[in-house]
Amino acid sequence: MRAARKGYAWLCALLWLLGKPPGAVFVAICARQGDSSCRFLSVSDLFDRVIQHSDRLHSLSTALYLDLEKNFLPNGNELGKWTGKCHTSRMLTPNGKEYVQKIPREELTQLILRLLQAWKEPLSHFDQNIGHHQELSSDSLSKAKQISNMVHELKTGMEKVTEKMQSMGIISNSLNGMGSSEAAGLSISNEANVMSDYEFIHCFRRDSNKVQSYLKILKCRIWPGNSC
Amino acid sequence: MALRQLLLILALVCANDSLSTSEVILGRPQIVKCRSPEQETFSCHWTDKDFHNLTTPETVQLFYMRRNDEEWKECPDYVTAGENSCYFNTSYTSIWITYCVKLINKDEVLYEKCFSVDEIVQPDPPVGLNWTLLNTSLTGIHADIQVRWDPPPSADVQKGWITLEYELQYKDVNETKWRELEPMLTTVVPLYSLKLGRDYEIRVRSRQRASEKFGEFSEALYVSLSSISSVLCNEEIQFPWLLVIVFGTFGLIVVMFLILFSKHRRLKMLILPPVPAPKIKGIDPDLLKKGKLDEVNSILASHDSYKPQLYNDDSWVEFIELDIDDPDEKTDGLDTDRLLGDDHCKSHNCLGVKDDDSGRASCCEPDIPETDFSASDTCDGTSDIDQSKKISEKEEDLLCLDQKDNDESHASPADPSTQKPNTNIQSKPPFADSIESTSPPVRTQLSNQSSGANADFYAQVSDVTPAGSVVLSPGQTNKTRRTQCEAYTEPAIQCQPNFTMDNAYFCEADVKKCITATSHDAVEPHVQEQSFNEDVYFTTESLTTTAENPGTAAVEASNSEMPVPDYTSIHIVHSPQGLVLNATALPVPDKEFMISCGYMSTDQLNKIMP
Repeated sequence: MRAARKGYAWLCALLWLLGKPPGAVFVAICARQGDSSCRFLSVSDLFDRVIQHSDRLHSLSTALYLDLEKNFLPNGNELGKWTGKCHTSRMLTPNGKEYVQKIPREELTQLILRLLQAWKEPLSHFDQNIGHHQELSSDSLSKAKQISNMVHELKTGMEKVTEKMQSMGIISNSLNGMGSSEAAGLSISNEANVMSDYEFIHCFRRDSNKVQSYLKILKCRIWPGNSC
Repeated sequence: MALRQLLLILALVCANDSLSTSEVILGRPQIVKCRSPEQETFSCHWTDKDFHNLTTPETVQLFYMRRNDEEWKECPDYVTAGENSCYFNTSYTSIWITYCVKLINKDEVLYEKCFSVDEIVQPDPPVGLNWTLLNTSLTGIHADIQVRWDPPPSADVQKGWITLEYELQYKDVNETKWRELEPMLTTVVPLYSLKLGRDYEIRVRSRQRASEKFGEFSEALYVSLSSISSVLCNEEIQFPWLLVIVFGTFGLIVVMFLILFSKHRRLKMLILPPVPAPKIKGIDPDLLKKGKLDEVNSILASHDSYKPQLYNDDSWVEFIELDIDDPDEKTDGLDTDRLLGDDHCKSHNCLGVKDDDSGRASCCEPDIPETDFSASDTCDGTSDIDQSKKISEKEEDLLCLDQKDNDESHASPADPSTQKPNTNIQSKPPFADSIESTSPPVRTQLSNQSSGANADFYAQVSDVTPAGSVVLSPGQTNKTRRTQCEAYTEPAIQCQPNFTMDNAYFCEADVKKCITATSHDAVEPHVQEQSFNEDVYFTTESLTTTAENPGTAAVEASNSEMPVPDYTSIHIVHSPQGLVLNATALPVPDKEFMISCGYMSTDQLNKIMP
């Protein structure tokens, strides 16, 4: 819970910065000339904050997954684990480290955004539906609510960072990616309604891990350093 | 014997249990554990099976299937991961994809499991543990160290593919329980407050962030702090008895001081009880200090016992000043002592100057060993009675003393001072010192003149007029005195007034002498009647009868060179109870005070103070 709140605060700060025009981000921070305390907030720092937010999102989803697993799989039976497909399984995503490193940055960035977009609407539905489960604790319900919000914020933040990176020339402009992601997201989300809540969370946890890993790889590819 | 049998039975039972459980375990492989150390490869291990007798180990097969595929495939590598294992390298590994594995023994499914690789990540233990000493405490008991390690080489942390979380555990070598630190992302951590002189063990394990399962522990790092043990203090801190005692006593002292301080006044009351200041009812001592006679008189006027006097604008009064001395001096020295010429009286204003009390030293107070003349104007008649009682006691002593003094004081020179009654006037003459000097001669005179038991020195002043005249009343009977000092009595009281009529005041003693001498018959019963009664005043008739005698005596005395006494002329205040003595002018010899009874006439004062 604390991690979620921290993430919330971080993202609020991030969005406050990102909500302004790209150039204004740096101007607002360093308003006074020659101020030693004014720290230039680089894109890498912003990216770090995005990564932190995704980490918290993954932690939250894992916690909720474990809660649901206790309710739906009381015996801990390994065989009964969900092996069904997630609605995002159709998306072609690299499933290995080498592939992730080989894929171009723009594609990777688009991939991240598509994933987040694909989960945005189903999560809102999930948040509404999970209230019907009376056996779940209020803690679990609050987690579900937070997940829904965090995904939305993460997507918004990632879009801003992407714009910034495109403006800085780190990644090239690719207009096709965004349009296709929208269309793909819509078709996918319809399938999400069929799954049960446990399956839903199982799938989301996996995808949140995917997003987290992609972000880390992307950051270390663009800004290699000790913090990787 | 019985005990041994019991032990044997217990051992057999335990062995049976263990055997039974082991049989269960060896019968079938129960669990297949799959693990990925770096999220790039994974391997699956299954437990030992007891198929030595039944089947060959090769018959056990592991098949896997990815979710995307539709058929089972056999394990690609049975060797790399060791015995009873299956190793999947990077080409076979896909993350975020569901794998299902199953263990088959001759078409018999022993075990089946589905998982995803990202869920089974358990990193290798960290490597390269080492420690450095940060600092030691001043007491030489504790020390801080810093532990550093490296992430497992298999995990690709550099590229951000995996993010590791570390958990450190340490313990004393003698302990059994490990202490844990919170999982951290850094590879450097300080350990605080390790005790010198002891050895510690440290181990670290890691896990993927946001995962549940930890990897294996690293090898234990042995930290030897015993070699750095300080020379200062190797022992455990013992209970600081000395500190406890010191601080305890300090606290007690503080508490005692607090008590003393809070009860300061009470303690002071106990040690130094305050002396009550003499008071007169209704009169503020400040008025007397300021010398405001009029106000005092007005206050006294309101008093019951005050009898209004006719104000006499005598010039004599103008020169009378209030000499307000310390009222405590009133208690010092009886008048009789002064009359007898005690030495200590020299230091005080004995002769009549004790008029200073002017009502302050109240005759109402029984403590004050004053005779009846002291401030009688503020007293009631009852107080006068008390005084008269006291006077009687004192005068008895005095009478007896007189005889003794007679022998002693013959040699002393005679000065112009006569016996003086203890009449005190409210106004006092300013010549206190000179009066005092005459006290010893007075004593001698008194002793010379004293005729024994009937030497009546005291007259009670019942009232004092504002003019300074005194209302006298007899203090005691002659009879009691006579009885006391029978042995010393002389045949007759010689009315030898060494006074002249010129003086302003009567000495009552002289008067009484004359009374007893001349009109013994007439006065005596009257005097006797007056003893211890409310009727303590002379009647005017009685006194007038005697007045002549002192007058005659005074004439004789004036011829002699004896000191001139002072007289009060009798001024009737209210008949028949009271008698007022007025001051009359009398000639005074040159510088000597001719004082009898301690009073100055106005003429004397005039001569002295032009």
